Amino acid sequence: MLGQKSKASKAIEFIVILIIALLFTFPLYWIVTGAFKTAKEVNSTTPVWWPYEWTMANWEKLMGKLKAPLFEISIPFSQYWSEDGAPIAAVTGATVPAAIRWMINTVFMAVAAMLLTCLTSALAGYSLAKKRFVGRNLIFTLIVCAMALPKQVILIPLIREMSSLKFYNTMAAVIFPIVGWPFGVFLIKQFAESIPGEILEAARIDGAGELKTFNTVVFPMIKPGVGALAIFTFISSWNDYFMQLIMLSSTKNLTISLGIAKMQAENATDYGLIMAGAAFASVPIIVVFIIFQKYFTKGITMGAVKG
Amino acid sequence: MKKFLAIILALCMVASLGVFASAEPAKEITLWTYPIGKWVDAETMDALMADFEAATGIKVTVEYLDYTSGDDQVNTALEGNAAPDLIMEGPERLVMKWGVGGYMADLSDLYEIPEAAGVYDSLKKACQYEGTYYEVPLCMVAHNMAINYDVFEAADALQYIDLENRTWTTENFIKAVDAVYAYTGMPVATVYCGGQGGDQGTRALVNNLYNGTYTNPEHTEYTANSPENVKALELLQSWDAITFDPGIVAGDEIQLFRQGMLNISWCWNASQQTNADNGEPGFTNDGSRILMMNFPSEDGKAELCGGIWGFGVFDNGNPDKVEAAKEFIKYFCYDADEVVKAVRASSFFPVRADVQGVFEGTATEDIMNEYSAIFLPNLGDYYNVIPGWAGQRTEWWNMLQRIGAGGDVQAETNAFVEAANALAAG
Amino acid sequence: MPMNKNRSGMSRALVRRETTAGYLFLLPSLVFFLTFVVYPMVMCIITSFFDSNMGKNTQDVFIGFGNYIELFQDPIFRGALKNTFVIVLVSVPVVMIFSLWVANCIYDMKPWLTSLFRVVFYLPVVTGSVAVTVVWKWMFNNYYGIFNYILKALGIISKPINWLGDPKYALGCIILILLTTSVGQPIVLYVSALGNVDQSLVEAAEVDGANHRQVFWKIKWAQIMPTTLYILIITMINSFQCFALIQLLTSGGPLHSTDTIMYYIYYTALKMSRYGYGNAMGVILMIIIAVLSGIQFKLGQSDS
Repeated sequence: MLGQKSKASKAIEFIVILIIALLFTFPLYWIVTGAFKTAKEVNSTTPVWWPYEWTMANWEKLMGKLKAPLFEISIPFSQYWSEDGAPIAAVTGATVPAAIRWMINTVFMAVAAMLLTCLTSALAGYSLAKKRFVGRNLIFTLIVCAMALPKQVILIPLIREMSSLKFYNTMAAVIFPIVGWPFGVFLIKQFAESIPGEILEAARIDGAGELKTFNTVVFPMIKPGVGALAIFTFISSWNDYFMQLIMLSSTKNLTISLGIAKMQAENATDYGLIMAGAAFASVPIIVVFIIFQKYFTKGITMGAVKG
Repeated sequence: MKKFLAIILALCMVASLGVFASAEPAKEITLWTYPIGKWVDAETMDALMADFEAATGIKVTVEYLDYTSGDDQVNTALEGNAAPDLIMEGPERLVMKWGVGGYMADLSDLYEIPEAAGVYDSLKKACQYEGTYYEVPLCMVAHNMAINYDVFEAADALQYIDLENRTWTTENFIKAVDAVYAYTGMPVATVYCGGQGGDQGTRALVNNLYNGTYTNPEHTEYTANSPENVKALELLQSWDAITFDPGIVAGDEIQLFRQGMLNISWCWNASQQTNADNGEPGFTNDGSRILMMNFPSEDGKAELCGGIWGFGVFDNGNPDKVEAAKEFIKYFCYDADEVVKAVRASSFFPVRADVQGVFEGTATEDIMNEYSAIFLPNLGDYYNVIPGWAGQRTEWWNMLQRIGAGGDVQAETNAFVEAANALAAG
Repeated sequence: MPMNKNRSGMSRALVRRETTAGYLFLLPSLVFFLTFVVYPMVMCIITSFFDSNMGKNTQDVFIGFGNYIELFQDPIFRGALKNTFVIVLVSVPVVMIFSLWVANCIYDMKPWLTSLFRVVFYLPVVTGSVAVTVVWKWMFNNYYGIFNYILKALGIISKPINWLGDPKYALGCIILILLTTSVGQPIVLYVSALGNVDQSLVEAAEVDGANHRQVFWKIKWAQIMPTTLYILIITMINSFQCFALIQLLTSGGPLHSTDTIMYYIYYTALKMSRYGYGNAMGVILMIIIAVLSGIQFKLGQSDS
């Protein structure tokens, strides 16, 4: 409300933000230190701010309890002829602590969802923005209406559908609804609107085919939008606890969020173990985020600004 | 050279195919288990399952459920045609929910084997619905409660307790709790009602205080609005020493009890007393002694809620798997040696009088013997087999929340009974 | 066709080509959209007219609007509807204002400080709601949680507050956690958007004697408008989908004060096994959200 910001008000602002920032770091700090506390410290009723003696006991429990194969590559579509309706594994990795497998599952799920979403949305968004054809408005209206739909709404039909397609309890059951969710198409369409028609016309006159035009002309122009979408999809599928909860059931198929939620429900008393699990779930992705911060933020940036 | 390699490769493939074709197709079944003692501990389970595979050639894949989302997981799996072959839990789920729902295989033939004759009659009755058996029980317990012995001693409240039989009358219970409250100045216990976890504890407390019942003897109607239960709830509602906490469930309450923040836990049993996750079993985190107790009642004679756990078989349309699952049940419930191991892993008690010495020579032998002598005889009516069980559990904790917030006890219990009876009537 | 008489055959071929290409580009996305979103939506609408329960031997019975009539008489549903909107109506504006404020404060700091703050505010997003929940549950604990510890130490309260167990506070606590997990992305977006504002326009305005506030609202605000719209949409979507926090912390309680439609659907379908009834709720929500998205989209269109 001040006219020109004074030095003093800037300083106050800085301090306020610093305090809020501390609050934001607190959960992570608590998780990471808690993972190394002894049972006594973690259960203490007065906060123990720093582990008095660092222990690996929680990590040993986390890594020791449940086991699962490191990875399984199954024969595509084998669930349709296998005896029990589950995919047949062709290659199975060494047995490792289940937490590691959960991490691999989560990364695979988020990356696959991200790539598929970006690819399909880029093509569709461009088509809706620049192509003129019958039914275009109808499809677009449908997309806008379904865009903000929470997945809980279609919970039961989706479970039934996944089971008849034999996708239940596979990663496909989590990934495909994310890909089908039309927010990405909407976003890319908004970007592609700004591609000048003349450029497309010029490409056509030069004799470029549809795919070539898309590759060389359209894609570079919507790239920032795709970047924004990639990050949004990655993060939201990483955190999409709900779909994971209802679609995945066997230990080897869980994601890391599910794994921790399960630990929490099972061992309300073993807080140290839960902290170790939470640390294991969050630290790697935070490190990735810090390293790639520049690209992360750059991706989103231009995206939304030009939109 | 290349040709040579190609021939070797081809030979290998043929050989491996041959091996593949000649091997007996190994039977595989899946077992989902709720956290029942060490039946949730991967190490214990791997050993048990390896023995079973060696004996029968049937491979068992075990999945571990929890009480928060386990039911949802089974329900979605049933909806997704991906239910397991075997499931381990109590009759309220296996019989009344999935058995009545038409998902379970008939296990009546497993009751015709000679060993089955030894199963206690009350348990047999609980494992069937309209004459069809859906569950074979493995282990059981009577849920009790626990107090912080050292704090009660310091507050001079032990004088109100019959230490030998671990019983107290309601009158003495009130005196004891008030004494502890006066000594610590903190709420002594809390009626947890943030969800359905561990609700047997709150039910047992309310029913026992003035000798009320939860259902009628025929298990067709709920009776939580009877004068005895209303009196009990009114006592709890008006008592400062005991709070209602809708922010926690039994798991949190147990943790608070172990941390010394609460001095009574309503949700206790043999498995809790022998739990060594956080330190020495039988002691709180700061080393106070945990004393197991019967629930207080007017005449000092408690009726404890039973816990029954056993196996049910989902009928997924494959008779071979159903057979293999029955093989599993026979092995763990009726084989003289294996049943001992299986029950020991559950850290509960056998369901047949002729299974003896389960905990002989183990570290927990004393506690378990004490438990069977003092608490098991007080096992009350197993009313969990009333229809509409799963749904009424939600009504129960919601009712406790309303009473805790100051709602009129008679009106709220009436509302509970009305809703629960509607569920029971289907 | 007589209508196209004056058009050449060439352009008719072009129309056909456009249509084919248009649909081919759309195809991959459409397959997923129709199979995993539209089809379940249609099934959801159909089952909502049936009394459909779990059970192998049960038959779905057509009951017309029965589920809907029951729905509007169900006080828990009305409460859940209200809570859902409270969450959205509180968290969306707060997220927008807070993140714009933070971004405006940090975007012109030294680059390393800007990066640092950006990472810090993004932390809860990447940590994930489930992991974050573990800590918040402890912080809100009635008996030894840190909020009660600090407030008591400062002498503000004498008796501990049962944050998650008191209907007065529980929804607020959920919203607070939701806020910390939702401001990360908007802040990152706003920082970049503000950094990209055309400096020559800002300088020109300053030369003309515009003060700080005028520069912000007249120049910067207009330039970051597309970012604002994008944030508005993603925040709304996030707030509607708030589920993990409720499932893991309160199960909709106490006294249904944190029940949302999303949680109540999950609960009705999976705990009570009443599919038809759950789907009817889904349909109501579908209609509300479709209308809201439509309005938001139209507003966005007319603005830009």
